Amino acid sequence: MRKFMNRWILSCKKATELMEKRLLMDLSWKERLLLFMHTSMCDVCRIYKQQSKWLDEVLFRHFNDQNDKKITFIENDDLKKRIISNF
Amino acid sequence: MYADNLYSWALFKTSSKETAEDLVQETFMAAFQNFGKFKGESNSKTWLFAILNNKISDYHRNHYCNPTIAERKQSESWKDVSNDVFFDSIGQWREDQRPFDWPLGAEEYLDNDEFNRVLLHCMGKLPANWCSALQLKYLEEKKGEIICQELDLSPTNFWQILHRAKLQLRKCLEINWFKS
Repeated sequence: MRKFMNRWILSCKKATELMEKRLLMDLSWKERLLLFMHTSMCDVCRIYKQQSKWLDEVLFRHFNDQNDKKITFIENDDLKKRIISNF
Repeated sequence: MYADNLYSWALFKTSSKETAEDLVQETFMAAFQNFGKFKGESNSKTWLFAILNNKISDYHRNHYCNPTIAERKQSESWKDVSNDVFFDSIGQWREDQRPFDWPLGAEEYLDNDEFNRVLLHCMGKLPANWCSALQLKYLEEKKGEIICQELDLSPTNFWQILHRAKLQLRKCLEINWFKS
């Protein structure tokens, strides 16, 4: 029974790992099945899954928005002088 | 000249004053040397930003491969404990670490300066090379396999780093934003 559990029931740690793995590569059918079974039973991991997806979107936009207003504009006159003196 | 715009952007992306200055200088040098290739199809600001963004990616790539010793120590010490913080010995969520439900909606948060500040703060708490891995993942939306090759990392290591980084970030946002 224990052996069976180990093989077919994912721990939450493993399940959340698979969720991240899935974002990078395809899962095997067995991994997909185990993950599906786990998330349909485990409320906490279902919340994690939503938040992980949300975090993905937040990070993607955070790194890719060249939205000037988010960035504090900093003047660096020293740097400008150095660049000019290099030419 | 767009030196200040470039500098602000580089500083935002690398969180290091010296690095940002170096990258901007290199950008201008590269632009000067390759001026012949610039055909005026795009405006010069776009062109300079394209060069700078390449340099930023290179920086994160090298930074990942050669983290300074202090950083390496830091990330190794995290390796030992990071998972235990969230999961118990049989891999179940620890009682006090279970995610609780948040109101979601990326749009509204990202327009909020305070939220962006908390996000930066939380990313600053990650080991630098994890942060680099995150940047490479999201900056160019590259396929995982390509990043792994570039970082000379097995795919398993790479998604495990992302997994840990996201667990930490999630927790940090929960504490500093959603609970306060």
